[in-house]
Amino acid sequence: MNSTLNLLIGLAMGLNLLALGSSRLPSVIRAMAVQGVVLGMLPVVITREFHWPVALVALVTMGVKGFGIPALLRRAMRAANIEREIEPFIGFVPSLLLGAIGTIAAVAVAQRLPLLPEHAGTLLVPGALATIFTGFVLLVGRVKAISQVCGYLIMENGIYLFGMLLLHSTPLLVESGILLDLTVGVFVIGIIVDRIQRAFDSLDTRKLTVLRE
Amino acid sequence: MLLVALVACVAAIVPGPRWPRIWLACMVVGTGSILAAAVAVFAGAPDWEWWSAVRVGGERLHLRLDGLSAWFMALLGLVGGLGAIYARGYWPDDAHADSAARGRLWWGVMILSMGFVLLSSNGLHFLIAWELFALSGFFLITLDRQRREIRAAGWLYLAASHAGTLCLFAFFAALAGRTGSWELGPMRAHPELGPLFWLAFAGFAVKAGLFPLHIWLPSAHANAPSHVSALMSGVAIKMGVYGLIRFSGWLPTPAAVGWTITGIGAATALLGIALALAQNDLKRLLAYCSVENVGIIAVGLGGGLLGAADGDAGWGRLLLAGALLHVWNHGLFKALLFFAAGSVLHATGTREMSRLGGLWRSMPWTAVLFTIGAMAVSGLPPLNGFVSEWMIYLGLFDVVAGRSPAAWAAMPAVLMLALAGALALAAFVKAGAVVFLGAPRTRVAAEAHECGGSMRGAMVVLAAGCLAIGLAPAVFWPAAGRAVAAWNPPWAAGAPPAPLPTLGLANAVLVTLALAAGAGLWASARARGLRRSLTWDCGYASPAARMQYTGGAMAAIAVGWFGWIFGAERRQRRPRGPFPAGAHRIERMPEAVLERLIGPVAGAVMQVAGAARQLQHGRLQYYLVYLAGGLTALGTLVLVGEMK
Repeated sequence: MNSTLNLLIGLAMGLNLLALGSSRLPSVIRAMAVQGVVLGMLPVVITREFHWPVALVALVTMGVKGFGIPALLRRAMRAANIEREIEPFIGFVPSLLLGAIGTIAAVAVAQRLPLLPEHAGTLLVPGALATIFTGFVLLVGRVKAISQVCGYLIMENGIYLFGMLLLHSTPLLVESGILLDLTVGVFVIGIIVDRIQRAFDSLDTRKLTVLRE
Repeated sequence: MLLVALVACVAAIVPGPRWPRIWLACMVVGTGSILAAAVAVFAGAPDWEWWSAVRVGGERLHLRLDGLSAWFMALLGLVGGLGAIYARGYWPDDAHADSAARGRLWWGVMILSMGFVLLSSNGLHFLIAWELFALSGFFLITLDRQRREIRAAGWLYLAASHAGTLCLFAFFAALAGRTGSWELGPMRAHPELGPLFWLAFAGFAVKAGLFPLHIWLPSAHANAPSHVSALMSGVAIKMGVYGLIRFSGWLPTPAAVGWTITGIGAATALLGIALALAQNDLKRLLAYCSVENVGIIAVGLGGGLLGAADGDAGWGRLLLAGALLHVWNHGLFKALLFFAAGSVLHATGTREMSRLGGLWRSMPWTAVLFTIGAMAVSGLPPLNGFVSEWMIYLGLFDVVAGRSPAAWAAMPAVLMLALAGALALAAFVKAGAVVFLGAPRTRVAAEAHECGGSMRGAMVVLAAGCLAIGLAPAVFWPAAGRAVAAWNPPWAAGAPPAPLPTLGLANAVLVTLALAAGAGLWASARARGLRRSLTWDCGYASPAARMQYTGGAMAAIAVGWFGWIFGAERRQRRPRGPFPAGAHRIERMPEAVLERLIGPVAGAVMQVAGAARQLQHGRLQYYLVYLAGGLTALGTLVLVGEMK
């Protein structure tokens, strides 16, 4: 069981690096969507026995993260008429390096954390830390608003991974609530992206500095 | 009586801005009843205490009118009412269309809030009233807010005032924390409260304008409209004095307080008057002179504290009574002087003494009243300034003669007060001579006109007050005795410790002699006729008004003695050669404490703040980095803590 879990999380960590390294927006979105699907399978794997509610939640998660949100983002992308992240704050190779260092650091830190014995052997904690870190790097290192939304979503994936640790004590209903929040958040951000595009003729968030004060 | 005052003042505030006459009537009734309430206490009515049924801010209002409050209430009633009358002529609606209405509104608020400060016997309400009083002062100072230096003076006042209020907040909160209630009252039985007095001292000293904390005072008093200056100088800074006296009476004070207040008071008196002497701005001169007088009052209070600690009733009582009487006297003559200065400003539009001169002919009333005020402030008999300063001197001499340890404070204080007195005389000779004597230096001075009836009336009442205290000081003793008893009950016992009736008699004789001499001169001049001619002019052919002594020249020697502390800035070009083309000499007196000490410190703070503002640039990505950095730091902290 643990090997399946670790395989899935390792896949997600690889997708992190893919998201960091690609300059084209559709591939970032795709990486994020695949990561969402991979993570959506986790509850089923972790709970061992088959429960209907768990399966339902996993299905909904996969649906929203793998298809719903990416579809919203693609629409916003088309509306704003942008394809690529052209001038990132942190270049693609440095981002990749940062991501790799972050992943190694996450594994190193996780070994020192006082974890419960049943989590000690899995990649759950390092994976969560690495994914959150990747999200941060994307948020900080990208200029276009849509890339930042992707960063935000990847970070959320990391938080979701952390949530897996508490799967036995947190009702899945709470998870579903978080998911709903997330969808609404992305929806709102999609609208905001559209507005930024109209007001500034660009999605470059650096131009937002004129709004200060 | 106080209810009438409250109703009248509120009635003045509400319709005041629209109807000047109703406002004036209400104000006069209100301040008159404040005065009457105070007089009733002096006449022997028992102390008045009142608790409200409703709670304000969770506390019941607790008002208390005892001898000490009544002493300051009387001053408030008198100067507040006369200032309202004076404002009618000085700041009329047709000349100051919008600010006159605002002025009336805030005048009412200020009188009311000061009254509450004096009556309030609950720390919370004291603070509320104090804050309201400080704010209304700010709005009154900046009535004419179009001018930049007035706004600057207002902000400086507000900042300094709030620095003081901060100390008071700390003081009252700590007091309430230690006693368990906001109620104020005599607490001498709790010696552990003693150190708190230092906080109160700092807070009230800012308001009173004791030396290093006087920075706000000169510019605020000089730039405010003159009736406001009179109220600020005559009454508002006395609120600080009231606080000092009140809480030094209620709280057990540490032994060092008496020494500190005496020392700071003496230094304030000397430096204040030396700075006054150096000024060219008439109202700024008066403002610095207020600093000096607060110093004199502080010497008296410090002496009283030393006396209370020493247990010797005689001189402590005399010094405290002198300080209290000087509070009244300074309120009277400084209001008179500010009114007179306002009258000059009203007539000529300038406060620069070097642009005035020869006003005695065109403004005889103002000139005579200014001279009376100047004599009083210089401590010349037969006026009131002499009486109170004499009491303080007598008290200090007693201390020195008594050879108690306090003599070490009293001896230098006497010397410094004596020097300050001489300099005060010099300062007012300079002011009076440059403004009123000689020939007009500019056209505005030549075209001056006498002030109107309401302004003149207010000044005459104040001058009469100065003369009355000078001629019959014994009449006012019972009131002072009552106030002293409220400060320290064991000192309640009767007779004045100084021969006040004799002093009154001597003053009366002096007045009679002066009047007789004046009448004699007048008669002889009438009989023989006056011969008018030029003064001896060294054979110079065409004397001009510019050749008169300037104020700066008159004060130059005495100012030179204090050069080490003022550091006057000079720029000059001496005349060269047999036919010099041009020469000039410009002197400027910096506000030493403000510009050399507070300015640089404030500048450094602003620089750091400006640098920190660079962090707030509006770039989302950097904000996220801050966030990530903060989170990582917190995480590391937790992790390290766990490992330990």
